[in-house]
Amino acid sequence: MTVEYVPGQPQSQPQTTIAGHGDRPLLTVTDLSVTFTRRGRAPVHAVDDVSFQIRAGEHVGLVGESGSGKSVTSLAIMGLLPRGGVEVAGSVDFDGQELIGLDTATMRNLRGQELAMVFQDPMTSLNPVITVGRQITEVLKRHRDLDKADARTEAVDLLTKVGIPDPARRVGDYPHQLSGGMRQRVLIAIALACQPRLLIADEPTTALDVTIQAQILELLRELVSGSQTALLMITHDLGVVAGLCDRVHVMYSGRIVESAERRQLFARPRHPYTGGLMASIPRLDQPRGVPLTPIPGSPTDTLPWSQGCAFAPRCPNSEVDCRMHTPALEPADNRALRCFHPLTTDPRSVGATHA
Amino acid sequence: MTIAPTATLPPEGPLSPDGPTAESMAGESLWKGAWQRLRRNPMALIGGGIMAVFVFVALFAPLLAPYEPASTEWTELSTPFFVQGSNSEHLLGIDRWGSDMLTQLIFGARQSLIIGVVSTLIGLFAGALLGTLAGGLGGKVDTVIMRFVDILLSIPSLLLAISIAAAMGKSSFALMVAIGAAQIPIFARLLRSTMLSQSRSDYVLAANALGLRRRNIILGHILPNSLGPTIVQATLNLATAIIEVAALSFLGLGEDDPAVAEWGRMIVSGQDRFQIAPWLAFYPGICIAITALGFTLLGEALREALDPKQRR
Amino acid sequence: MPEPLLQVRGLKVHFPIRKGVVLQRQVGAVRAVDGVDLDVHKGSTFGLVGESGCGKSTLGRAILRLTDITEGEVLFEGVDLAQLKGEELRRRRRSMQMVFQDPMASLNPRQSIETIISEPLRAHDITFDNRRVRELLELVGLPASAASRYPHEFSGGQRQRIGIARAVALEPALVIADEPVSALDVSIQAQVLNLLEELQDRLGLTYLVIAHDLAVVHHVSDEVAVMYLGSIVEQAPSDALYAQPLHPYTISLMSAVPVPDPVVEDSRQRILLTGDLPSPANPPDGCRFHTRCPFRQETRCDDERPALREIQPGHRAACHYAEEILSGHITPREPDEALRAGVA
Repeated sequence: MTVEYVPGQPQSQPQTTIAGHGDRPLLTVTDLSVTFTRRGRAPVHAVDDVSFQIRAGEHVGLVGESGSGKSVTSLAIMGLLPRGGVEVAGSVDFDGQELIGLDTATMRNLRGQELAMVFQDPMTSLNPVITVGRQITEVLKRHRDLDKADARTEAVDLLTKVGIPDPARRVGDYPHQLSGGMRQRVLIAIALACQPRLLIADEPTTALDVTIQAQILELLRELVSGSQTALLMITHDLGVVAGLCDRVHVMYSGRIVESAERRQLFARPRHPYTGGLMASIPRLDQPRGVPLTPIPGSPTDTLPWSQGCAFAPRCPNSEVDCRMHTPALEPADNRALRCFHPLTTDPRSVGATHA
Repeated sequence: MTIAPTATLPPEGPLSPDGPTAESMAGESLWKGAWQRLRRNPMALIGGGIMAVFVFVALFAPLLAPYEPASTEWTELSTPFFVQGSNSEHLLGIDRWGSDMLTQLIFGARQSLIIGVVSTLIGLFAGALLGTLAGGLGGKVDTVIMRFVDILLSIPSLLLAISIAAAMGKSSFALMVAIGAAQIPIFARLLRSTMLSQSRSDYVLAANALGLRRRNIILGHILPNSLGPTIVQATLNLATAIIEVAALSFLGLGEDDPAVAEWGRMIVSGQDRFQIAPWLAFYPGICIAITALGFTLLGEALREALDPKQRR
Repeated sequence: MPEPLLQVRGLKVHFPIRKGVVLQRQVGAVRAVDGVDLDVHKGSTFGLVGESGCGKSTLGRAILRLTDITEGEVLFEGVDLAQLKGEELRRRRRSMQMVFQDPMASLNPRQSIETIISEPLRAHDITFDNRRVRELLELVGLPASAASRYPHEFSGGQRQRIGIARAVALEPALVIADEPVSALDVSIQAQVLNLLEELQDRLGLTYLVIAHDLAVVHHVSDEVAVMYLGSIVEQAPSDALYAQPLHPYTISLMSAVPVPDPVVEDSRQRILLTGDLPSPANPPDGCRFHTRCPFRQETRCDDERPALREIQPGHRAACHYAEEILSGHITPREPDEALRAGVA
């Protein structure tokens, strides 16, 4: 079986090198697998042999639809998966320290201090009966040993930093008194309270309106760029990663199927799933009448990876071998790709020429 | 021009693991799914088992009982100084009035079942009717009905039952009405609130948008989706009803005919010989407890089976 | 131009805010829809776009009379729906249908697909047989075997197809689709959008599509109206609106939508809006958008509410300074400066 490679013409810009990051990655995820087991049911491989690295200051996007395993990956890194019924295998190395199997107390200290996370729903991630000020000062007191007065001053500073108007008054507010966008800002303030080295944002703008989403994305961009804080952005929205991430990993059914530097990925998607996603979303900057090319089937129509390519049942390029052998994630064309029959033409341009 | 019209694409069809598959052609309704969950639940099996035994005993009491009920054959074996305990002839001994204890307990099951079921049905139907009217029609009808229900609810249920039983005289029927009436507010309020929350759901809005008649929306959409909690409550209430039958009988408000065996009254009659024969009160007490437990277990299992959160 | 299929005139939907236990005095109103005019022509798609809380869903429901109308006219096929009641209204529903956002919630979980799809036919006393149900399933790309199944056995995209089959069963003239794809996975959205387009061609449907996703609305609509805080701030043919937005809100909204293209993302100018949507119970005086507007001019924007007026042929906007913004005489303030101004 030969895999056909098309000599890649990098269409634009050389690979961006991020200065001053050193060679050692901050986070190295190696062969991470998460399996949910439930009595009387077949085990579900939510995350399957996922490996990637994040350097200090780097912004990495993890893109996928529901069931792709992107959120489970982030919860596994943070050690936030439930104890019962979950098997976690593989390694998550954070600056030389192994996070998988780490004892609860050490993990608790790392979380908030070195690793922080922002969740999708700002209402349910904030405690409704405690003022936002106290929710911030709690973190400061615990991880930075500040006394009450200092913690309060610092909390006001943090709220100012995340763009909350009238922060001195807002520290006394309860979460329900704030709008959705404000709550997400508070969550970001809490996450950044101890200047973590890695910030994981799990669909941080999905619950928000477009104009508020733009505010939050701009805020994240401002806060992490220029600092040494690394960002792992988890989203289903290709638009969000296009503007924010240096490197993008596309996940499907628990595995990474394509990862590349963002410009290369968007300029020339090679995996049929990546290409299919891009061709199926309407774009604001294109004239009307460009037809959409949907991906047939639904994300639940998968083949187990052990039998072949999970995307094969929905893939326009799939052939017999896709259902018999499991493709490996191999370097190709300035990227890593898991496909026997990668795209040779851009599915978006096919649609455009027929318009 | 569209290259591939969606309708001709194989839409997420036979490949989907939770979509249609060739083997099972008939769909699985929610009731069917609930039944399957119920069958796999050990709590339901225990509760159901207890209930099955109880119903079986109640139905076939004359065949199962070793002796005639309310016989006074062995009066000399039950005196203030001596009560015959368990022996080879009388497995559970002799009761206060000189009848076979086991026989009396078996016939008592019958009485408890009849009164329990009938009174719960009275409460269920009256309550469901009021609840459906209030929840389905809303507005003024709702206000009037619910104020009436509130008044009923403000009277302690046992007190209400006692008043009704006292007013209607001592009879099994009075007991049923009394216990049933006390249950009306529970069912009415439960059904009304479930119906109100269901009537705000999208599929009811959809039914409105389709131009369905109001009657069809209430009876065909809102009611079937609101029944789950009511069924659970009815099962749990059966347990309460059986205990209340016993309580009212204990207070002397039950069946007037002393020949009719009833567990609550058996406890009372056992009282004056409690010192020398505690089992006289113990056996009927344990019967009440086990039966109530059976219905409660089944009710809890039903709640789990019907709970929407259990659905994927 | 022929008479529009649907004409909305001065439509207002106010939800009263009541206080007190017994007397329930009305102390105010949430002005969900506050004076909307629109025309929808037969066979076209009208897109209604806006953020959550702008009143677009309430407007859609009010047109179908699923919400009480406070004031105004809804002329549908020449009849004012606002005046209809009871049985008359119910019969009229035969020619206007709705597709809902959440396909699971909008299907009765205890009914089989066959019952769900045939229910509108039964409600309007139309005789039908199994063939009709199969035909409808086929029309939306589902196998005939789906008929005996239940909603929970399908995936999100398939459920939305079922909802669409139910909506077109009566062969309505107008279909209002409220966020038809926003609950679906990205890869499924295009399937449903294409299906809607295909059904429009085959059945001659007229659509009113309500969505928060500008790209989706742009893709499906002939005419687009942008709503903010209960009223329309801009309306134009789809391509014209997206090529040259005139209202500051539309301009900011479009600049806020992330585009899946790093080249575009890196080069485009973003106009960030400050603050949040004001409460529709207490909307700002003057132009409703002035509290967040990056182009706001002193006093006039704060005092005078702009009317929706034609700036270019067929392109209307409700802004005092639309021409000046278009010609570049007024430029947006910097976000930081605007933020500080917004704080005060």
